Amino acid sequence: MIDVRHIYKTFLVPHRVEALVDVSTTIAPGEVVVVIGPSGSGKSTFLRCLNRLEHADAGHIFIDGIDMLDPKTDINKVRAEVGMVFQSFNLFPHKTVLQNVTLAQTVVRKRPKAEAHDKAMALLTKVGLPDKVNVYPDQLSGGQQQRVAIARALAMNPKVMLFDEPTSALDPEMIGEVLEVMKTLAREGMTMVVVTHEMGFAREVADRVIFMDAGAIVEVGPPEHFFKNPTHDRTKLFLSQIL
Amino acid sequence: MGSFPAARRVRRPRSYYIGMGIFFLMLAGLIGFIYYSTLKIDYVWRWYRVPQYFLYHDTIEKRAEINGIVQSITQKGETVTIVVGGDEETESYTSPAVDIRVSEGDVIYSGDVLTVHQKWKAGILIQGMWMTLKVSIIAIIFGIGIGLFTGLARLSENPALKWSAVTYIELIRGSPLLVQIFIWYFAFGTLMNTLIAKNEGLQHVLRGLLRTEQIVQVPPLWFGVAALAFFTGAYVAEMVRAGIQSIHRGQTEAARSLGMTYGQCMVHVILPQALRRVIPPLAGQFISLIKDSSLLGIIAIRELTKATREVVTTSFQPFELWTVCALLYLFLTFTLSMALQYVERRTITS
Repeated sequence: MIDVRHIYKTFLVPHRVEALVDVSTTIAPGEVVVVIGPSGSGKSTFLRCLNRLEHADAGHIFIDGIDMLDPKTDINKVRAEVGMVFQSFNLFPHKTVLQNVTLAQTVVRKRPKAEAHDKAMALLTKVGLPDKVNVYPDQLSGGQQQRVAIARALAMNPKVMLFDEPTSALDPEMIGEVLEVMKTLAREGMTMVVVTHEMGFAREVADRVIFMDAGAIVEVGPPEHFFKNPTHDRTKLFLSQIL
Repeated sequence: MGSFPAARRVRRPRSYYIGMGIFFLMLAGLIGFIYYSTLKIDYVWRWYRVPQYFLYHDTIEKRAEINGIVQSITQKGETVTIVVGGDEETESYTSPAVDIRVSEGDVIYSGDVLTVHQKWKAGILIQGMWMTLKVSIIAIIFGIGIGLFTGLARLSENPALKWSAVTYIELIRGSPLLVQIFIWYFAFGTLMNTLIAKNEGLQHVLRGLLRTEQIVQVPPLWFGVAALAFFTGAYVAEMVRAGIQSIHRGQTEAARSLGMTYGQCMVHVILPQALRRVIPPLAGQFISLIKDSSLLGIIAIRELTKATREVVTTSFQPFELWTVCALLYLFLTFTLSMALQYVERRTITS
């Protein structure tokens, strides 16, 4: 599904940071991968490289066999297949909840209005917000906004979903409702890459946990092994700090 | 949204009323002082002469154009048709049936008055104001177009677009509008009209299009409009750029991550939000434009200021007329400001 081979990314502005150093991994269809690590470890950059919001400097990224870093690739076509959920929701404030979910369907997928509407209603019901379709995002709580953002991404029928710290900007009492939606997705067999600090979620849902530090993958493993018997000292230190 | 509790009458401190009194006293004092000064120079105020420059009752005399005999006078409702039969031709004249000066069988000569009627006509100040309005509206529309395009070009990564936009913006913002109007009219205008006049083929086509025999030229009005539109466009471009840059980067990322192209993202996500934000500065710019259109008088466009100047030279009532002129500008700018405030309120609540 996703095949990442030796990617590098260096930021030069505001100052030189080697955000990714020789990162390689493969993600199988239906797999849920959770990426954890201290802040500045490059996990968000890694995720953003997957749909080319950041352009990796070197290496290869294949999604469904399509080379993401090939300039000839129609990036918009691939991005439509890769859903992304952001830490700060990034809903369109000038559009209603329903319009947020239908916009890309009609513009990118060229679906008829009625079909897009039905799809949006079904997804908003799925994330538990069927009664909020006609309000504007600023009238919703953070948790509700993030659930709308998930519905917006799902409306494109993506093959993969990327989550960039989806619960970090939420008040504690709202984290649960968002995680619940994500767990449902995982159970339904969605391929997911999740950057998060929610260790409970990782333990319960992840098929594999990737621990990153200083731009490199330090340790990979199934959660039961990862949390109980980490092999690397850096992983042990990190886990001891957060658990 | 009207959820404020009904404003209770606040008892204002006495100093507030004293200040209010001082304000009105100063205002009355100023007007009184000006009036007193004008009396000192024996200026005679004749406000009654002003209304005719807004609206006047014009007497229209319909005259025969041939010699002949009035063959028939047919009245149909409010209008009358008079048919005059000459030696070789017959002419018919139609006008309101108010004051008919001929009857059937009369022998008339070319130039004789057939009917007389009166009609309300817009005076020179209203005509001037209409011209100001027309020029401003056309310039605003083109200015928005130019500004939008230039603003987007300014943000482009492509040097051809970006540097063109920067050059244009800096040139326009760095030179006086008056000079730009001169350049448009005396330089570009002369150049263009000479080239058009010299090009036989083009003249032929233009004459056909406009159904005229004369040499076709671009009238000064359009050079004036171009000067204003390009002037405004440069300022609008900077506002559009600032508006777009003020939208959080996450909006672009969200739109692009859904597979939208740069254009789709701009049209559906960024511009609707950015333009909403720049309505207040745009309003200020358009108000400036209405006022700046007063400079167009120098290239023979008879807008409000030029119209006023013409009336002043014939009527010798500068005090009244320039006051009226200023008030008419105030009327235009205030109306525009109100209209844009309405638009702003509409877009924010939706």
